[in-house]
Amino acid sequence: MLLFLQSLLNGLLLGGIYAAYSAGFSLIFGVMGVVNLFHGEMVMLGAFITYFGFTLFGIDPFLTLPFSIVFLFIFGYMVQRLIINRVVESPPMISYILTFGIHLIVAYSALWAWTADFRTVTTSYSGVNANVYGVIIPYARLATFGIALCVVMGLYLFLYRSEMGRAIRATAQDKEIARLKGVNIHHIYAVTFGIGAAITGMAGSLISTYFIIFPQMGLPYTILAFCIVVLGGMGYVPGALWGGLILGVIQSVTATYLNAGLSGALTFILLFVMLIVRPAGIAGKGIIE
Amino acid sequence: MKQKPFLATITAGSILLLLLPQVSTVAGVSEYMIRFLAIIFLWIGKTGCWNIVAGYTGYIDFGAVAYFGIGSYVTALLMTKADLPFLLSMLMSGLVSGLIALPIGLPTLRLKGVYFGIATLAFAEAMKQIVLEFDQTARLQFFEGPHGITLPIGPGNEFFYYAGFVIMMVILGINSWIERSKFGYGLKAIRESELTAELSGVDTLRLKMKAYAISAFFLGVIGSLEAYWLTYITPHMVFDVLITIQMVVMALLGGMGTVLGPAVGAAFLTLLYELLYKDFPYTYGIIVGVIVVVAVLLMPRGIVGTLKQKSKCKMNRQTHT
Repeated sequence: MLLFLQSLLNGLLLGGIYAAYSAGFSLIFGVMGVVNLFHGEMVMLGAFITYFGFTLFGIDPFLTLPFSIVFLFIFGYMVQRLIINRVVESPPMISYILTFGIHLIVAYSALWAWTADFRTVTTSYSGVNANVYGVIIPYARLATFGIALCVVMGLYLFLYRSEMGRAIRATAQDKEIARLKGVNIHHIYAVTFGIGAAITGMAGSLISTYFIIFPQMGLPYTILAFCIVVLGGMGYVPGALWGGLILGVIQSVTATYLNAGLSGALTFILLFVMLIVRPAGIAGKGIIE
Repeated sequence: MKQKPFLATITAGSILLLLLPQVSTVAGVSEYMIRFLAIIFLWIGKTGCWNIVAGYTGYIDFGAVAYFGIGSYVTALLMTKADLPFLLSMLMSGLVSGLIALPIGLPTLRLKGVYFGIATLAFAEAMKQIVLEFDQTARLQFFEGPHGITLPIGPGNEFFYYAGFVIMMVILGINSWIERSKFGYGLKAIRESELTAELSGVDTLRLKMKAYAISAFFLGVIGSLEAYWLTYITPHMVFDVLITIQMVVMALLGGMGTVLGPAVGAAFLTLLYELLYKDFPYTYGIIVGVIVVVAVLLMPRGIVGTLKQKSKCKMNRQTHT
C-alpha cells in the first residue's frame, strides 16, 4: 500500500512537470495551428539559463525564473514575428519543417557553444525530502508541482479574463473575423508564441534542479509534449494538466510494478490508441480538423 | 518531344553508374566513392518511399522509420536464427513490413493532418521501445534488446552499390508511374481535397492504404539491405527518429510530390553531410537548419518544384507570344 501511494505521488509530481512544459505547446497549437518542433529546445534554453545563473552568479534556481521567462518571451516573440508569421497562412506541413529547421539551428548552436557535457544544478536543498507517514516527498518537485498548477490556472485566467486573452481566443477561433474587428493578428500570434515560450522556459528552469541538462535534451521533451497534449486535447490548455497527470501516474506505476523501460512503450501505445479512439483528448475539448 | 533528350540523359547516366565499379581501377574511382554513391542511392530510395505517401497523398508520415527498422530486424532475425540466405530474408522483410502496414494504416489513415503524423510517430517510438524491452519483460532471448544483433559478414561494397542502384531505380520508377497513372491521379486528388475526391468516386481509404503498404514494403527492403551492410544493428540505430526526419527534410528540399525532387534533395543533403560532418560536426547541423528555414521561406515547393513552375511560366509565355 505504501509502495502504491509512493508511486502514485511520484507520478502526480512528475505529471505536474509534464503539464508545466506542455501547456505552451498546446497554446501555440491552439491559436496558430503550428506544431512546434523546437519546443524541447525552449525547455533546454530555460534549463541552461538557470544553470549559468546558478554556477556563474550563484543565484538560487527559483530566483532565476524571471530571467528565463523574460528571455524566452523575447525569443519566442522574435521567432514568431520574424520567421513563423511568414508561413502562418501556408499548409501545416510547412510549419513542421520550418520549426524543425529552427530546432536544428538552436540545438546545434547550443552544442557548439556549450559542448555535449551533462550538467546538473545541485543546490543545498536538492535531495531534501519530507517524510509523511512513510511517503517521501521531495521539496523541489513539490514546489515545481505547485508552480505548474499556478501557471496553468494563470494561463486559463489570462485567456478568459483579460482583454489580450479575448483577442487571442478570437484569433484562434477565426482570424479573418478577428482581423476585421481590428485585432492585429500578427502581433497576437507573436505575443501568444512569446507566452508559450516563456512558460516553457520557466518549466525548463524548474526541471534543471533535478534532471540532467545537456544541449541535445530537447527532442525527447518535444515528443513527450506531443503525447501529453494529445492525451489532454490538442489546443485545450487545461487539457495539458490532465494529460500530464495521467501520463505521469501511468509511467510511475508501470515503472514501479513492471519495468521502467516498458513505461515508454506503454506511453506510445496509449497515445496511438487514444488518437484513434478519442482524438479530441480525455476531456473531449481538443481541436479536431 | 521534350521527353527524348531527357530520357537519353537518364539512360546514359544509368549506364555510366552501372559501369563505374567495373572501371573503378582505371578511372581512379576509389572504394570510398563507390561506398558514398551507394549511400546516396539508399537515401534516394528511402526518400522516394516517403514521397509515395506524403508527396502524393499529403499525409505526412512521421513514423516511416518503423518499417525501415522492422525490415532490418526481420532480416537480422531470419539470418541469425533461421540461417536463411540474404535475398530470401530481404523479400521476407519487405513482406512483413508491408503486412504490418495494413493494420496500422487502416485506423491511422482515417486521421487528418497533424493527427496522422503524431499517430505514426507514436507507432515508430512504440516499436522501438517494444524491441528494446521485449526480452527483459518476457524473460526471453529474442530481439536481444539494447545489445543488438550481429549479422553474418556480407559481400563487399560493390554488391551494395548494385543492390542500392536497383532499389533506387525501382522506387523512382514507381514514383514516375504514380505521376501518370490513374492510381496516382487518385492520390493527388486526395492531396488537393479529400472530400472532393471521395465525392468524385475515388475510394480514398483503399488508395491511401495501397500507397502506404507499397511505401512500407520498400522501406522494409531498404532496411534489410542496410542491416546486412552494417552487420550490426540495435533498436536505437534502426528505429532512430532522425532517419524519418532526414527523409522529410530531403523530400521537402528537393520538392515533394515530384519524381526527381526526393532524389535531388537526398543527393544534395548526403553530399553536404559528407563534406561537412567529418570536419565540422556542429556547424553541419546549424547549416542544415539554416538551409531548411531559408528553403521553406523562399521556395516552399522545393528545388524541383520551383524549377518546374518556372519552366511552366516560360512555356506559357512562349505560347502566348
